[in-house]
Amino acid sequence: MRWCVRLSLLLLPLVLCGQNLAVQELELQNGMKVMLLPRPGSGMVAAGWIAKVGSVNEQPGITGISHLFEHMMFKGTHVIGTRNIEEDLRIQLEMDRVKAGLRKEEQALAQRLRLGEIASVKDPKLRTARHQELLAKFEELTRQGRALIVKDEFDRIYTGQGAAGMNAMTSNDITLYFVNLPSNRLELWFWLESDRLMNPVFREFYSERDVVYEERRMSLESTPTGRFMEQFDALFWKSSPYGWPVVGWPSDLDALTREDANDYYARYYAPNNLAACIVGDFEPARAKALAEQYFGRMKRGIREPEPVRTTEVAQIGEQRMTGYADSSPQVMVRYHTVADGHKDEPALRILGNLLSGNTGRLYRSLVLEQQVANMAFAGQGGRKYEGQFSLSGTAKQGKAPEQVEQALYKEIEKLQKEPVPERELQKIKNNLNASQFRQMQADQFLMMRLLMAESNRGWRAIESDAAELQAVTPADIQRVAGKYFSVDNRNVLILYTKPGASGRGKRPAAASQPGGPQ
Amino acid sequence: MKKSLLFLTVAAALQSAEIPKHPRELKYAVVNYQPPKASGYRHKLASGAVAFVVEDHTVPLINISVTMRTGKYLEPAGKTGLAAITGSQMRSGGTKSRPPAKFDDEADLLAAQIGSSIDDVEGGAWLNCMAKDLDAAMILFLEMLRDPGFDGSRLKLAKTQILQALERRNDDSRSIAPREFTRLLRGPRHFSAIQATKASIDGIERQDLVDFHRKYYFPANFVLAVSGDFQTAAMVKRLEEAFSGWTGPREKVPLPTAADFTPAPGVYIVDKDVPQGRVRMGHLGVTVSNPDHLALSVMNGILGGGAFTSRIVSRVRSDEGLAYSSGSVIAHGDFYPGVFSAFFQTKSSTVAQAVTIVREEIDKIRSAPVKQEEFDTEVARAMESLPRRFATASAKAGQFATDYFKGLPEDYWQRYRDRIRELTPAELQRVAQKYLKPDQLLILVVGNAGEILKGNPDKPQYQLSKFGETKRIPLPDPLTMEYR
Repeated sequence: MRWCVRLSLLLLPLVLCGQNLAVQELELQNGMKVMLLPRPGSGMVAAGWIAKVGSVNEQPGITGISHLFEHMMFKGTHVIGTRNIEEDLRIQLEMDRVKAGLRKEEQALAQRLRLGEIASVKDPKLRTARHQELLAKFEELTRQGRALIVKDEFDRIYTGQGAAGMNAMTSNDITLYFVNLPSNRLELWFWLESDRLMNPVFREFYSERDVVYEERRMSLESTPTGRFMEQFDALFWKSSPYGWPVVGWPSDLDALTREDANDYYARYYAPNNLAACIVGDFEPARAKALAEQYFGRMKRGIREPEPVRTTEVAQIGEQRMTGYADSSPQVMVRYHTVADGHKDEPALRILGNLLSGNTGRLYRSLVLEQQVANMAFAGQGGRKYEGQFSLSGTAKQGKAPEQVEQALYKEIEKLQKEPVPERELQKIKNNLNASQFRQMQADQFLMMRLLMAESNRGWRAIESDAAELQAVTPADIQRVAGKYFSVDNRNVLILYTKPGASGRGKRPAAASQPGGPQ
Repeated sequence: MKKSLLFLTVAAALQSAEIPKHPRELKYAVVNYQPPKASGYRHKLASGAVAFVVEDHTVPLINISVTMRTGKYLEPAGKTGLAAITGSQMRSGGTKSRPPAKFDDEADLLAAQIGSSIDDVEGGAWLNCMAKDLDAAMILFLEMLRDPGFDGSRLKLAKTQILQALERRNDDSRSIAPREFTRLLRGPRHFSAIQATKASIDGIERQDLVDFHRKYYFPANFVLAVSGDFQTAAMVKRLEEAFSGWTGPREKVPLPTAADFTPAPGVYIVDKDVPQGRVRMGHLGVTVSNPDHLALSVMNGILGGGAFTSRIVSRVRSDEGLAYSSGSVIAHGDFYPGVFSAFFQTKSSTVAQAVTIVREEIDKIRSAPVKQEEFDTEVARAMESLPRRFATASAKAGQFATDYFKGLPEDYWQRYRDRIRELTPAELQRVAQKYLKPDQLLILVVGNAGEILKGNPDKPQYQLSKFGETKRIPLPDPLTMEYR
């Protein structure tokens, strides 16, 4: 994400049954799909577009490029963000050349590090004269380049015209760009978005790479459990590209080049790999005309992007990871399940809902009755190519995470052995039904969900999924519980409290050590 | 209908137009926006509650949100944590006629979202349900509000969960920084800085919750925001009936007051082994009743509040690549002076550099008028934010209720745009000079102290020590909050 905001609502599955969405569709000649959903009255529109590309499309060496690319899309174009485009591009080329030279110097240092001759590649005293010279040259070019930049002009134009909430997000599967603006400024959106899709210039590339590294430090490295979750993901996915973090591995973030970004752009940002959507107060006829006029001028990509080749190999034995974190003792259990839209997914999603929440089985059993945990959750996460089901719990004081783990397995066994009572199932379905309407309230939320659905199975999946969820039976739930939750398919992360962490004066000697209760 | 006619004409005119070379050449239809008046939606109920009721039939849902004057500031001495626990246990602890599990189950079967909380300076309770289920959901909601059960076993569980959270309160620099900054700013004895301890949580009994609830939960202390799929007259009648016969103590609840404390400017470091330093630099601000508060907001938009178009973000983030998150906020106090603070997170070695840049920007906005282009962007942002506040029924009802609760003048939003229009770059410089006080900055850094003080070997000119003597703040014992 380019700017830190809360978007946790998006993690909830969207359900819209019994309510057909009056979406008007338009497919441009270049292959770009445009979805329009007019909802008059507010004087505002939520507009966005999605690129069907995310970290799953990356390879080792360029991990994190989808997300860095998202950041680069705000840096301007041939028209926006520069005082002199020719001079600007010339300096950028020169910077890339100096960076290539620096890369050689860094590689030499990395080799010495591998051989144990030096302790750090960052120590200035180890640099050669050539290295220092290149660094100085680079700084000088940065200074020259900066003089030509119209800082954040893209943001300034939008903000000056009343737009708000402009942002973008990158996930494993997609990259999504969105903004809210007054209805009368709709053409501005078409202008700016088609311009940056056609003529992007990745200026300030290297400083933005540093920004992304800081984002990694903030969200992953400076949080109590961030790095553990990252490594558990890497353990869980053996061959699938879902194994690396969206933000990218540190070594790749240090090495990504502008050329990498150019290749990536050519491959994944052609209109035949994009979809756009507007929800809110606007005239659909005018929006269609503007879409033809502005997005229609983009050229179809030379080749269709190929689906990801590497699929996850079947797991053949349980995998366990343990660690010590600045956190309460906790456990996460994760199974390989099915991708988004698989016929077993509705039952798995309902199974997750049955277990979660304050009237869910985990809270009732683990927290209220057995009192082994203070919190517990579960849920199915279906992605484009693969899926997983997670259960997690935080141990109550004096209890071990292993006790929570065993209690989680007991709940799964119960689901395998006994059909879910109808009333309990009805509760889940009632809530899914109400959430259909809750999630229709905000234009922006609906726009984003339409785009996400469109990026995989088409936006109508929103409607068909809702119907399928309502049709799930107790027998379906029992069947999927039996099918996916086997020992060999299991991955377990156990976190103990790091001894001496967090400034506590006197710690009990046996505080949450592995192997049993305190 | 005037608006949409105009819209069509413009649409027709532009249909065949060429794509302009630059977006500044685009032409937009003029929209003459008038904010709605709260008085048109306000209902004073016989019980003394005030309700803002906004009908809207787009989805079959109903929202009722109640704000009440209560909060942490009213906790008895030694009972820190009582307000928050009372707020959450109203929802978790069942009611006088329904044990917790039964209440939870009935609410869930209705797919009704019912909640309650109490924070520093206000309490809140809310209901969101399908319109068809309003009768049944209202019964639950009103029972929670009026006759909470405060079940003993749920209270015991909540205390266990809170103690676990207290134990972990030094784990994350995200929670350490705001806690320590408030303590430096308001002093250790102001309610906003006092933290719950094991002793204060252990000492909270069920009767304390009962008493706290009884004291502050009565209709004359409620402001309601109601929106959704209903007829206004029928909803008002329903609300009248709901609260009838519920009088309560009817004593006016006192307002929160400012800290009697003078902060000591300087550099403070909390040592925490994480790769990023988390920094806040700031001092006390003003209240929303200060006539300069809008000028200050617009000025801060240019300094660091306006995301990518602001100076701090532009320099710390996009020029230097030092931080993902950076900026500044001016939060105007509703009841006592608010706070000005700049913030960022950057790797240990560049903390001093980023502090230096922020300090330069604070000095710069005081010493020279802002550029016309910066001024225009922020004025446009302020002007255009107005319709968004009232864009949906629930936003409208919520804004009216919040304004009423905080005592904002009735014509505040009607006059808002005229007051923004009166601003000038010179005026922004005047308020920057008057209210930004570089010599009074509290600079709080949470991170790896050794690495941060070492600085960047490539840029030795940046040193934290240039901003004054650095004082270490130890991490307090998480259960007693003693700073050793």
